[in-house]
Amino acid sequence: MAKEPSEQIIWDEERGEPGFGFIRPHFHQEIFPTSQIVGYVLSLALTLTSFLLVIHRTFSASPLLVAILILAVGQAGVQVGIFMHLRESRGPAWQVIPLFLGFFIAGGMIAMSIWIMMFKWGGY
Amino acid sequence: MSLPVDPKVIPKPPVPLEFSVKAESIKITGFWMFLVSDMLIFASLFSVFAVFRSRIMAGPTPNQIFHYGSTLLETLLLLTSSFTVGMAIFAMRKSHAQAMMTWLVVTLVLGAGFVATEIHEFITDVQHGITWHVSGFLSGFFVLVGTHGAHVSFGIAWAVTLLFQLSRRGLTPVTTRKLYTFSLYWHFLDIVWVFIFTFVYLFGKIT
Amino acid sequence: MSFMAVYLFYLYMIHTLFPENVRQPTELGADVMIIGTGIIIVSVLTRYKKWRWLWSEWLTTVDHKKIGVLYLISALAMLFRGGVDALMLRTNLALPNIQPIGANEYNEVFTTHGTIMIFFMAMPFIFALFNAVVPLMIGARDVAFPRLNAISYWLFAFGALLLNISFVLGGSPNAGWTAYAPFTERAFTPGVGENYYFMSLLIAGIGTTMTGINFLVTIIRMRAPGMTFMRMPLFVWTTLTTSALIIFAFPPLTVALALTLIDRLFQASFFTLGHGGMPMMYVNLFWLFGHPEVYIVVMPAFGIFSEVVATFSGKQLFGYTAMVLSVVAIMLFAYGTWVHHFFTMGAGPSVNVFFGLSTMLIAIPTGVKIFNWIFTMWGGRIRMTVAMLYQIAFIPTFAIGGATGVMFAVVPADYQLHNGYFLIAHFHNVLIGGTLFGLLSGMHYWWPKMFGFSLNERLGKLAFWLFFIGFWITFTPQYMLGFEGMTRRLYTYPLGYGWHMLNVISTLGAFTMGAGFVVLVYDIVWSLFKMPRDATGDPWNGRTLEWALPSPVPEYNFARIPVVTSRDMFWWMKRHHATIADQLKPNDIRELDLPKNSPVPFILGLGFFIFGFGMVFEWWLLAFLGLAIIIGSLIYTGFDYDEHKQVSADEILHIEQSLGRLQG
Repeated sequence: MAKEPSEQIIWDEERGEPGFGFIRPHFHQEIFPTSQIVGYVLSLALTLTSFLLVIHRTFSASPLLVAILILAVGQAGVQVGIFMHLRESRGPAWQVIPLFLGFFIAGGMIAMSIWIMMFKWGGY
Repeated sequence: MSLPVDPKVIPKPPVPLEFSVKAESIKITGFWMFLVSDMLIFASLFSVFAVFRSRIMAGPTPNQIFHYGSTLLETLLLLTSSFTVGMAIFAMRKSHAQAMMTWLVVTLVLGAGFVATEIHEFITDVQHGITWHVSGFLSGFFVLVGTHGAHVSFGIAWAVTLLFQLSRRGLTPVTTRKLYTFSLYWHFLDIVWVFIFTFVYLFGKIT
Repeated sequence: MSFMAVYLFYLYMIHTLFPENVRQPTELGADVMIIGTGIIIVSVLTRYKKWRWLWSEWLTTVDHKKIGVLYLISALAMLFRGGVDALMLRTNLALPNIQPIGANEYNEVFTTHGTIMIFFMAMPFIFALFNAVVPLMIGARDVAFPRLNAISYWLFAFGALLLNISFVLGGSPNAGWTAYAPFTERAFTPGVGENYYFMSLLIAGIGTTMTGINFLVTIIRMRAPGMTFMRMPLFVWTTLTTSALIIFAFPPLTVALALTLIDRLFQASFFTLGHGGMPMMYVNLFWLFGHPEVYIVVMPAFGIFSEVVATFSGKQLFGYTAMVLSVVAIMLFAYGTWVHHFFTMGAGPSVNVFFGLSTMLIAIPTGVKIFNWIFTMWGGRIRMTVAMLYQIAFIPTFAIGGATGVMFAVVPADYQLHNGYFLIAHFHNVLIGGTLFGLLSGMHYWWPKMFGFSLNERLGKLAFWLFFIGFWITFTPQYMLGFEGMTRRLYTYPLGYGWHMLNVISTLGAFTMGAGFVVLVYDIVWSLFKMPRDATGDPWNGRTLEWALPSPVPEYNFARIPVVTSRDMFWWMKRHHATIADQLKPNDIRELDLPKNSPVPFILGLGFFIFGFGMVFEWWLLAFLGLAIIIGSLIYTGFDYDEHKQVSADEILHIEQSLGRLQG
């Protein structure tokens, strides 16, 4: 079936947008699933670490909260970076920008909602 | 008029099957955008839960209702299923259809185990009179965790229809794209669960 | 006599089916009108044997241009419904102590007025213009996901239908367009009205989110060769930012609505007063959506004005880069200001100061845009068409509306002005002066592209002046009423408060605007029959790619995808005698894959409607039926691999030849 020339080639190169920095496309092509296994081990380690930290009460409450929050964000990074192949795309990996904007807005939404709903009177 | 970059000069990079047709690769971008909007649904539910966390009233406290053993089991099930669906995609990229199907079935079994554990937990709670009517905290808890569970259940149903399509049609640009978007969805639910595990269960243990 | 019998039978049926609901005699008129319109439409379609045509050409279509037309028709119908509501409100307030409609009806009418105007008039009007021109402007064959686009439309349409039938079946929602908890909880508002509100907005909201995703991906991935981001027309930029805002802003609304509905139907304790519920969280979530929504409805208008002002001034848009940056800045700031809608909740001084400052900050990029429009006109050869008149009227109107908005950002002032008529006047000033003027301007500008003929300029100008003058007569007195202490959502007032004269004037203004709408509809009908067809496809001497195509645009849009080398590409083509019509050779035309019509979107929408109706009345069996239809059609689409039809090169050749667009 004859197609238009513009449909046979990769679109975004055609527009002169090869991507730059974080949104340069990159395809995962491996012979052995090394990254999957590494990702699995990492995800188990991160989860078990935070679980054990909490069960054994390693720190006092607030540093502990911060620690397990950081571990959770690390876990998200492992999933997005290794398993979800974040930068796979034809042409620039545009999904990166809305995704990080979404992370930022989601974090802001939660933090600000908590702040607003504290009803803290007095003091600036 | 000339093209800004002559397409004939650019060497065509090796592109996996699911990206090989333009229209299908656009659907993958679209699915990312859907995930972003779904992420904000969960963010809204998280902010509700965060605000309602201390509103226990006469109801039970987090420590009284959370079963840390089964929660850890659920987490391990979901993390493993995230790995297995990653392996399914790896096999798909290698065109090993049989291995891909096997990994996908393993993923579904693990997911079903997760849902079964969660439903069992919820039923036990309700039998003890712990419902979302009791307190603001329980409302937030049940709806946040329940929304995630509903997403996982939907994912399982979706993947079952995918299994039929894959076995009937084999690996085509369309079927591989569908499996690829399913894997994105599944990893995304895994991330959400990790935050539920941290924010809901572990925070509940600490405070 | 037979009419009376039918009406009595209808009353009897309503009473047996919906015993909670007691019909008010004042609602008779509305019922008769809704049912009568339905009967007329059905009989006309049957009389002229148009059912098959309707089904195959419109109800199953996935063509973005036809979906745009459907959106436009729905939006105009909803503008009529919302406008009639507004006139009823103003009539009730025209004189002290008169009550043509009672207190409860007044509540219902202002609720549906707000809900319909925002969700079922402004949003579909915006999507009408997105659908009609955005793919053409970026040189694409269609949107990224044509079938999803149709699904979005049908979810919107059935959501709108669900809200509108509430008036006939079971009672309208009556808790204001914001539906604040705990008033909307079952304890305070029993009955099905609020269920209708939550369910219809949830259904329409799903469709809207999908439209946002669709257009974001369309603009990111479907641009023609050479159409870089900084060459996109500004309307495409505002579509991009609006879509992004929709994706980020609709989830909190969905959650707020769903949680309240769970409270109402399944006895959860989110926003109730007992059991540790927290009604303020509803307000927080609602405005987490609600403030970005303000920019969702006004940013497309900014884009429209940027196109209109450049075309009718015969000049390139002044400060393109600054315009793009300010649009992006507005998009980002829009998320950081939502608390200014509820300063009086008393979240504390630090919260209020933070959000007051961020609100003032957002006026800066908006100011940049105003100056750029003025400088575009500066020294240009201005043509006073209807679209341009709306643009010129917009600038002072919106500037004043914006300035009164900044007054609200001052927290102590907000405590005084909150929920008064000053607020009413402010947001109508922004929404009518910004959004509605923008949408009407865009409608007049792109009408020939959508339908193949222009609207009558004389009638259009008459409608414009009625709208513009009527607007100021309506809302200037309301600013004053705000200072004199008249509060929002008041259904009547006694003599002797000194509000009498101002209310009379305001009502006169509202009826002037109503007359403007009548003239607009007359204009559309008159032009449909009398205006000459547009043969060139470029009636305004336009600058962007959509004018390079014939009007109305053939199904495949571009026989050959253009290569873009500059901003205002069509202007450049005309200067260099290189228009698509000049260049198209028979050999350039290839066979094309086009999306095929599908009944799935309509049936999916119907499934959601049945599901919603079942939920509203808690008829679980009906809800399950709807759910089964939804799941069934989703599975059907999953297994349907036959999404495309082929259009042969000969067919395209023939169409292009008949349009006189083929060389050699």
